Amino acid sequence: MINLEHIFKWHNTGNNRVFLLKDINLHFDQGEFVSIMGPSGSGKTTLLNIIGMLDDASEGKYDFQGQNIYQIKDKQRSALYKENIGFVFQAYHLIDELTVYENIETPLLYQNIKSAERQAIVADILDRFNIVGKKNLFPSQLSGGQQQLVGIARAIVAKPKLLLADEPTGNLNSKQGQEIMELFQQLNKEDGVTIIQVTHSEKNAEYGQRIIELLDGRIEKK
Amino acid sequence: MLKNYFIITFRNIFRNKTFSFLNIFGLAVGIACASLIFLWVEDELNYNHYFPNRNNLYIVKDKQTYDGKTFVFDATPGPLAQAIKAETPGIKTTARISWANPLLFSLGDKTINENGLYVDSGFLTMFSVPFTKGNAANTFTQVHTVVISEKMAKKFFKSTDIIGKTLKIDNKQDYVVSGVFKDLPENVSIKFDWLISFKVFEEQNQWLTKWGSNGIITYAETEPNANVTAINKQLYNIVQRKNSESTIAKMLLYPFNRIRLYNSFDTSGTEKEGLIKNIRLFSLIAWIILIIACINFMNLATARSEKRAKEVGIRKVMGAAKQKLIFQFLSESILLSFISMLLAIAIISLALPAFNNLVHKNLSLQIFMPLHFGSLVVIALVCGILAGSYPAFYLSSFNPALVLKGTKLKTGSAAFIRKALVVTQFSASVILIICTVIIYQQIQYGKEKDLGFKKDRLITTYFNGDMRNHFSVIKTDLLNTGLIENIAQSWNTVLSQGSNSGDFTWEGKPVNKTVLITTEGVGPEYISTMNMKLKEGRDFYVDLKTDSTNIIINETLAKIIEKKEIVGSTITASNKKYTIIGVVNDFVSNNVYKPADPVILFGDALHTNVLSIRIKANADISKAIVAIEKVIKDNNPGYPFEYEFVDAEFGRFFRAETLIGKLAGVFAALAIIISCLGLFGLASFTAERRTKEIGIRKVLGATVTGITGLLSKDFLKPVLLSIVIAFPVSWWLMFNWLKDYQYKITIEWWVFALAGLLVLFIALITVSFQSVRAAIANPVKSLRTE
Repeated sequence: MINLEHIFKWHNTGNNRVFLLKDINLHFDQGEFVSIMGPSGSGKTTLLNIIGMLDDASEGKYDFQGQNIYQIKDKQRSALYKENIGFVFQAYHLIDELTVYENIETPLLYQNIKSAERQAIVADILDRFNIVGKKNLFPSQLSGGQQQLVGIARAIVAKPKLLLADEPTGNLNSKQGQEIMELFQQLNKEDGVTIIQVTHSEKNAEYGQRIIELLDGRIEKK
Repeated sequence: MLKNYFIITFRNIFRNKTFSFLNIFGLAVGIACASLIFLWVEDELNYNHYFPNRNNLYIVKDKQTYDGKTFVFDATPGPLAQAIKAETPGIKTTARISWANPLLFSLGDKTINENGLYVDSGFLTMFSVPFTKGNAANTFTQVHTVVISEKMAKKFFKSTDIIGKTLKIDNKQDYVVSGVFKDLPENVSIKFDWLISFKVFEEQNQWLTKWGSNGIITYAETEPNANVTAINKQLYNIVQRKNSESTIAKMLLYPFNRIRLYNSFDTSGTEKEGLIKNIRLFSLIAWIILIIACINFMNLATARSEKRAKEVGIRKVMGAAKQKLIFQFLSESILLSFISMLLAIAIISLALPAFNNLVHKNLSLQIFMPLHFGSLVVIALVCGILAGSYPAFYLSSFNPALVLKGTKLKTGSAAFIRKALVVTQFSASVILIICTVIIYQQIQYGKEKDLGFKKDRLITTYFNGDMRNHFSVIKTDLLNTGLIENIAQSWNTVLSQGSNSGDFTWEGKPVNKTVLITTEGVGPEYISTMNMKLKEGRDFYVDLKTDSTNIIINETLAKIIEKKEIVGSTITASNKKYTIIGVVNDFVSNNVYKPADPVILFGDALHTNVLSIRIKANADISKAIVAIEKVIKDNNPGYPFEYEFVDAEFGRFFRAETLIGKLAGVFAALAIIISCLGLFGLASFTAERRTKEIGIRKVLGATVTGITGLLSKDFLKPVLLSIVIAFPVSWWLMFNWLKDYQYKITIEWWVFALAGLLVLFIALITVSFQSVRAAIANPVKSLRTE
């Protein structure tokens, strides 16, 4: 599904070139659940952003479903992104001014899905995540775990094939973290969603089928 | 989708109540203010548009040059109208018109003074007098007929269906109502509630047959394509052709269209700008206020939008395309600006009565007029689009990964623009404040000028009916009340002496020099009643008979005549010799801002119109008025008692200046309020953006005062800069404004210092309110949220 070849990412500060990623070669198959680990500053988030098309590599080749995304048009690329990728963040990043329901609905708005259909999809998700009772609350009225649940619901509402999670349990306690991980596992097994997560926690990383370890922008261990 | 944006917009409004209020209210006030001025400007620009023929109408002006100085008058000789029509090709109609004057109308017990004109019948078609009863052709077929306005008809008859009914004029002659016309609007230069055939006026005034007496107004209507330059060429010497004695009066057509906004002439007789200058000035002010308000709106909207960078990032991650984000921000700010527009309409409706009072008009916001509605919508749209475009285009171009990571956005250029906008706003405020103060100083200067007579406790009333013949009885009765110091009679009120002549000569006067001298007729004890001072000689005797060829002159004329023994020397006019018996001090007779004109006072109690009454210094004014009314009504029954304080008449001299001063003051206040609203919003945002920095500084040991200073300094710098910019601009503006006045104040430095300090002080309070709040916040809290 995803193929990264000789991916480099750098910043120029003054005369120095600071490398964030060096020569990354990775392959992910449809339906995998992969954890990326590594100490702070090792380039985990950068790698995830590049996979998620939020950021571009400075050099290298990135194939997504067989298309070289640095060569296709912007329009095609955003279409590819919209249809296939969902994001979950450590800080949840819900829109404060919108209710739970509206937050989850937003990605569907951008996909131009009709109102009736939207209602059905969102109702479905709310039901599945057991948050129907909270649909009219604002993010600030929820606990961290609940917010992250909404974050995940929002990420998968448009049925993406790839779910990218940047330390999804980083702001949660261990019990909440475990629940989120179990949810990921369930999404992976039952819905066939490909999941790539960045994490600090050994325990959470174990939920993945394989672990990639980064150090100073290089892959240490696959 | 749109619904989603509306929801976000409204929630944002309610979440940031203060902020939204500042934003919406600021723009609304700006729009309201500018709209009020534009309503006024519109009214002025539409002046006289009521008359459909206005493009072909001309007033005949009379240009006279004395001693190199040219004066332009409206007064023309009586035979002029007929002569022009008879011998000038291109002229369609002419009409003679008397000066607007009040006449006493009565019906039964009801007696009311009404203003109107004696006109030739040509006037009715020239000015398309809108008859609702009767018609122009049959109006003046008989001599003693009158046409009146609907307003006047209702006053007397409570109906307009009154053709054939009679009204008594001046308690003497019955006039038959031959027509009723629609009331004129406020914004016309010719106002009248009654019209009577000019023939009546002609019978009463024999001098109308002479070419040498300029005493009435002449209007002309040209053929649509007439060559006015050619007509004027032919007109120029018409008086000289008809009357070889007259050398000075030159006639010319002056467009009726320019009467309201220009109609002002310099000493070479060329037209200069009149009221149009104020119109331009205020249009400029309106635009400035509107722009300030829009700038504010944009500033606040963009400042806030930075807070929403995160939302933009999230939306992008969720698949929002750039165009959708642009659309979202634009629709949001347009929605806000339309809310402001609605609020503005409410403000306009509330403020209109007060504004009307201020500008002495009767304006109304006709919101459904396409121009008004369209302008409001355009203003709202433009503000909305400008304010929304920065966040729309700038924020939507961010890389979401960076935004969500919490990287501080580079806002260098935006911050610069924002500061430039603050500078613009405050410059405008400072300029308006300085102008307000200087205009008020100039008005005050005029008001405090030594008038040469005492205007307090002095009232004037016009002679009605037989009053003049009973003058001595009235005088005795008034003095007997014990409340009156003295009374005197004269042709005009002291502040409206308008008659003048260049026909006077005296021994030693250069042959080629003509001096235009103001002439006025006064009864005995006029000088003492006015509290004027005799510099030399004596006043007229109480029995004027012995003084019929004696005159009193003012100091200015005495200086022009330049004689050692001025009292006893003579002045000649049309073969009549007058002996100077006294010299009175210079006094203001019609313009406060000019040096005194030369004046001759004749001893004349036969042609006087005005009674001046001085109330005793210790008398109660309202009691005195009651007493005066009783005396006058007893001696002259059947006429209403109408009077005016000379003080009030004097106040009218300053109407234009006072209006400008008041408006400038109001708008200065508004400009500073709007600017401060903006500054307040910006300060609160900076404080918010710098929360982390402030927290760190406090942890490192910074004091509250130190931090307040740090935050405030940033904002005071642009304010200081704007003060520096405003000084030369306002000096230049006021220097030019004052140029029109011969008597004027000098612009003083302390006005500038005062305005600068005032604005700085207000800005400091505005900013430090936010700064202090940010500085005293607990650093633990602010650092934790980062």
